[in-house]
Amino acid sequence: MTEPHDSSVTGVRARLMAALAAWAVLVAAVLVAVPLAFADRLPDPLATHWGPSGRPDGSMPFAVFVLLAVVWAVIAAIGLGVAARRRNLVRRVTRAWFCAGLAWAGGFMVTTQAVTIAANLDRGHWTRAAGVSWQVAVVVAAPIALGALGWLAGRRGPDVPAAPSGTGPLIDLDPGKRPVWVSTVTARWAALLALVSLAAAVVVAGVALSGRVPGGWSVVVPLALVGVIGTVLSSVSVRVVPEALTVSVGPLRWPSRTVRLERVERAWVEERYPAQVGGWGYRGLPGRATIMIRGGECLVVRYTSGGELGITVDDAATGAALVNALVARRHSSAER
Amino acid sequence: MLLTLDLNDPRPLHEQVADAVRRAIGAGDIAPGDRLPPARDLAHALGVNANTVLRSLRDLRDEGLLEFRRGRGVSVLRRPDGREALRARVRDLLDEAAGYGLTADDVVALVKDLGKDFGKDPSKETA
Repeated sequence: MTEPHDSSVTGVRARLMAALAAWAVLVAAVLVAVPLAFADRLPDPLATHWGPSGRPDGSMPFAVFVLLAVVWAVIAAIGLGVAARRRNLVRRVTRAWFCAGLAWAGGFMVTTQAVTIAANLDRGHWTRAAGVSWQVAVVVAAPIALGALGWLAGRRGPDVPAAPSGTGPLIDLDPGKRPVWVSTVTARWAALLALVSLAAAVVVAGVALSGRVPGGWSVVVPLALVGVIGTVLSSVSVRVVPEALTVSVGPLRWPSRTVRLERVERAWVEERYPAQVGGWGYRGLPGRATIMIRGGECLVVRYTSGGELGITVDDAATGAALVNALVARRHSSAER
Repeated sequence: MLLTLDLNDPRPLHEQVADAVRRAIGAGDIAPGDRLPPARDLAHALGVNANTVLRSLRDLRDEGLLEFRRGRGVSVLRRPDGREALRARVRDLLDEAAGYGLTADDVVALVKDLGKDFGKDPSKETA
């Protein structure tokens, strides 16, 4: 990793880390200092939840309220941990969304705290706390505004378009031969998670049917959903044949998507990680999506329409080489 | 895994598929210990029936190249030795020779002739 652009990205990352750390400390300081400063004018416990009517209907001890800073500390620590990984945040769009997320989270905690304190100030008892109405708009809007600022701040600096790390070996196509490439990746943890969730769903459904646990059904649906999604995300299969590229997910190879090669411009290999694309599964919008099963080697296909699709598979270099060779042959036969 | 089928090969499909897999293993495209893609993915890509692929894989298992393990799919046990690896290419050579009207004996004579020079070359270099 000694490309010339690397140093400037390193600089941006260093500044970004410093800014994020400062933001984390600032928010934490506000979350602790502001309640302490007003401690003698606040009831204990404080009203911390308001019903639809705008009247307080829930409370929290003062000590716990101050310790909400710990929640922020955990969020910020995870954020900084992700940012500290060398390979993360080199892409501008990832950086922008990452900063937007942390700015929004910090803003949300601070505005929520401010509104809560303002409502409780000099009230004597939490049940007499002021109602909230327009303050809800502040709690919604201010963090979004902060998030937008974070997004702009994160956009600064160069974009490393995840350097295409070569297109793999050149493949010589013999006209009398039919070359195909097949690659499969399975995420064992996803399969395991799916299995456990489905089993739990069946057990809970059984218990709920027996009628001993009221409301058991409300757990069955999310468990079954996690099971189904985990199953679909547990594997991906990519097949390249002289006519088309097919990507299928899940043990049933459904859903499946076939792209005809005349719609493909070229293919290459990239390293992509869940932290860069925002998690596992189908990530990003159509046209800039990644099917993320596991971090690492990724086959990226660019359509003639300008869109891109990345699929995390092993041996992507060979797949990219075959796609490129087939596309080149298609072009040369079209010129003739 | 990159597999290549010969479009003009008159042999039964399962032999051709077995050849393609054997070549892929021989070329180091897929190494001992690696798992093969599921048979139905291979079948879909090659445009053949899944049973045909399974038959080829069973043949390769009987040759000792593949290993079937319950729940873990099919994995590569070892690379084909020189004789097995060359078999398919010699077949190609014989096909081409037939196109020129040459018999297997003609090819053997040709190979022997070249083999004499081939044996000399390295000794010349070391001397």
